[in-house]
Amino acid sequence: MPRWGMVIDLDKCVGCQACTVACKAENNVPHGSPREQTERRDFFWNKVIAASSGKYPSVRTELIPMPCMHCDQAPCVTVCPAQATYRREDGIIVQDFRRCIGCKYCIVACPYGARNFNVKEQETTEYQRQDLLPDRKSWGPWPFPTRTHGVVEKCTFCFHRIDQGVKEGKKIGTDVVPACVEVCPSGARVFGDLDDAKSNVSRLLSSRASIRLREEMGTKPKVYYLPK
Amino acid sequence: MKSEDALSQKKTNGVKLNRRTFIKLSALTGAAIGASQVLGPSSTRSAVPVPPSASAPGEEKWIATSCINCPARCAIRVRAVDGKAVKIIGNPLSLVSEGKICPRAHVGLQVLYDQGRVNFPLKRTNPQKGKGADPRWQPLSWEEALQEIGNRLQAIRQKDEPHKLLLFSGLNTKSSEEVIDRFAKAYGTPNLVSGEGYEAETQKAGSWMADGHSGDVAYDLDSTNYIVAFGADILESSRPLARLLRKWGKMRREKPNRTKIVVINPRYSLTAAKSDRWVPINPGTDAALAMAFANVIITENLFDKAFVGHWTAGFDVYKKLALDEYSPEAVSKITGVAADDIREIAREFAGTKPAIAIGGKEAVDWTNGSYSAYAIHCLNALVGSIDIPGGVIYQEGVKFQEMPRIAEDETAKKGKKQPALDLRGTDKFPLAAVVTNQIPEALLTGAPYPVAMAIGFNSNFNMLAPGANRWDEALKKIPFYVHISPFISEMALNADILLPSTTYLEEWAYDFSPPGAGFAELKLKQPVVLPRGKTRPIPDLIFEMAKKTGGTVAGSFAGIGDNAEGFVKLRTASLLPWKEFVETGVWRGGDYEYRKYERLFRTPSKKFEFYSGNMKALSAAKKTTAEGDLSFLPHYKAEKFLGEAGTYPLVLLPYQPLMVMENGSQNYPWAQEIFLPMAGRGWNVFAEMNSETANKLNLKNGTPVWVESPYRKIKATVKFSEGIHPQVVAMASGQGHYSYGKWQTGIGVNPNEIIGVDYDSLDGQSVFFNTRVKVYKA
Repeated sequence: MPRWGMVIDLDKCVGCQACTVACKAENNVPHGSPREQTERRDFFWNKVIAASSGKYPSVRTELIPMPCMHCDQAPCVTVCPAQATYRREDGIIVQDFRRCIGCKYCIVACPYGARNFNVKEQETTEYQRQDLLPDRKSWGPWPFPTRTHGVVEKCTFCFHRIDQGVKEGKKIGTDVVPACVEVCPSGARVFGDLDDAKSNVSRLLSSRASIRLREEMGTKPKVYYLPK
Repeated sequence: MKSEDALSQKKTNGVKLNRRTFIKLSALTGAAIGASQVLGPSSTRSAVPVPPSASAPGEEKWIATSCINCPARCAIRVRAVDGKAVKIIGNPLSLVSEGKICPRAHVGLQVLYDQGRVNFPLKRTNPQKGKGADPRWQPLSWEEALQEIGNRLQAIRQKDEPHKLLLFSGLNTKSSEEVIDRFAKAYGTPNLVSGEGYEAETQKAGSWMADGHSGDVAYDLDSTNYIVAFGADILESSRPLARLLRKWGKMRREKPNRTKIVVINPRYSLTAAKSDRWVPINPGTDAALAMAFANVIITENLFDKAFVGHWTAGFDVYKKLALDEYSPEAVSKITGVAADDIREIAREFAGTKPAIAIGGKEAVDWTNGSYSAYAIHCLNALVGSIDIPGGVIYQEGVKFQEMPRIAEDETAKKGKKQPALDLRGTDKFPLAAVVTNQIPEALLTGAPYPVAMAIGFNSNFNMLAPGANRWDEALKKIPFYVHISPFISEMALNADILLPSTTYLEEWAYDFSPPGAGFAELKLKQPVVLPRGKTRPIPDLIFEMAKKTGGTVAGSFAGIGDNAEGFVKLRTASLLPWKEFVETGVWRGGDYEYRKYERLFRTPSKKFEFYSGNMKALSAAKKTTAEGDLSFLPHYKAEKFLGEAGTYPLVLLPYQPLMVMENGSQNYPWAQEIFLPMAGRGWNVFAEMNSETANKLNLKNGTPVWVESPYRKIKATVKFSEGIHPQVVAMASGQGHYSYGKWQTGIGVNPNEIIGVDYDSLDGQSVFFNTRVKVYKA
């Protein structure tokens, strides 16, 4: 069984946020509004955050793309009282909308801010995605064509793509990758099997020093960053 | 039925078939629209909808077309399911950006399905125009609209005054641009005004003085080992952006030597954040710094003697100027960059080959900007980075199928001999191709002559221009204004007739990127979905207008395809079979050939000129010798700022973030919510200030303030930044819209509103950075 992971090269990353937009398009993640942003209610399955330090002129800003880290020791899984969030055999942490009771315990537990609470109905006209067909049956391979009000959502590593790829015998990591990896213009993102020494993620990790965010918390994230 | 054949072939394409299979599994229903309904058989006219047949099966398509949310015009592939576009990705066949696209391309879905779009022609019923006046639109049929426009076009020509027709061209496809240009020429007006006067004219003038090529400079980035970027926001607003994003990744980690990148800018831009070294500089002093680099490189004998010796002219005069006036110590006082830093960067630049110096907006949009661009460009010649792998390269064009000549009558000939309204080519702007911001002046004063009618194609100069409000006033003076665009922009609010055009995902066109790749590449645009409402493509409208004008104008448009699709087919016939183009979406010319020095330089000496013979010839023709030799040499001249330093202590620096969609609208939530990644905010614009400067003014982070120039003031909140020069206030442009669109109206402010009107002395490029402001609590 593979253990899917992602490597993000911060030296190559250009901070353009193509990953953020592509994720919204791929996963039908609702967009926000000025008010929602002020109230911090808008949400992203993937977001590029900026972390600044230093005083002028020795300032330094790191732009860090933040998907779900798909931790091997995921605090969100531990705390979920409804077993709505769980670790699949291939290491992807998923959220079952039908089981989720919307208690937000996982949002508090996640050290990466990767989880979002959906407070709005996607189907209201204001947020209706004009490019989606009225008939949900023909929406295509979206994992959750129906959005649910009052549940927690997050990045899925685009498992709908992976599952489909596996079924068709495709090479995951080269032929089939998550949407954010596919669109990254600078080629900063790489996806693959962390347990396979020959996979492109493993080879990249063995070539350079890497870090994981908040490793000290023992979450064992499967998203690795390559610093400059 | 060629296009249909091509599409059915496309279905056999690997990845796509699998997705299609998947869709089939999800039980499609009958409301679907098949491919022939989406595109229409090619025998029908372009963009005429074919009614969907109930029996057509639901279908997924991947259609090769191209983007135009900015001037880069990247090749894309669009996934359409049952006649709806649902996903946009890059086209791997395009090598300009190696099949990659920037985030703006993904937002295309929201451009297509924008709720603010207009679906049928509108007529103004409120004679009062201007900011805040409700046009009181009434719907109008296409026939009525085009008839009225045709009558007026005819009447103007009957009076023998075709020059009184003014045409505005915003961001249009290259094929539309050609059709518009042909219309202007056939009609007989010299007044076709593009937005280029707000973009990159100084850059073009700078390279023209050096090598005779008047275009954006192209950079061969694959093997570049060192970049010094003067003001160039390589990762935000430089063109062609997607190429730069892709190559950045390549330069950093996909070649043996990691490219070192130094960014010189008063603002710690996103580009600076991703670079290896940020050098803050006093605003408007980049030319001095470039000359100081030359000083060090020449003094320390680090220049490329072979190239400079064989292929350049005027080196001795240039050397004398650089050595006499631009010592690192002297320049350090001007620029605020330490002399040791100047030496260090100059040595690295000359010692890490191939190296390139890139100039960009913050360095060259000044009154002496052409000479800054010239000074920066000369650095490339100094280290021999001209037409070599990893250096400056020269973009090759596309050899289109020739068109029949334009039929000109006496009226047209006379009209075109009239001086242009924007004073291009006059003593005021001797080198100008277009002086966009001069037009309001001409309209408000009625000089050199009043305008009878204007047509705007996707233009929105009311937002882009320094002194933006001048446009609001000036447009009132146009007796009859027709605006053509998919949505009601601020400029469209002043229209007498508003014609809704299709977006790029609904029309036929061809496009090519701004200089970058070197080799020629052409991209097709084809309809991905049916045009929304009654919208029609711009070329179709021009064909109609020409027909209605009659005479030689109609004659000039006979036999060139009759509509957008026909025109594109005709022009590309010399390149590749139509069927193949429709399928691949990309045509590419031969490989780029380096070191063509014998035939490269378009200068009197046929060499790269440190002392501009082109400029000297122009001066002789215009009889202007104001500054003697200095006019022919790259040099620094202290900027004359607008506003007294005593009253207005800070310099306003407007910058363009990546998520500014350059099509004139910003009504796109996906772009808006991540508008300022460095600030971690969207939906807003801040007055970004150095925290020490703000503290001195008693302003706290988040304080609402007025930013006031000698002309106007705008309100924003202070955002502390450690990445802003202490004398500067930086504000993002692209917001402050007040026209249609829920997701843009009333969001943020537009810094262009408070900028003064000023020009580059040679080419009339608008100056964006020389306005002084004061900031105080609101």
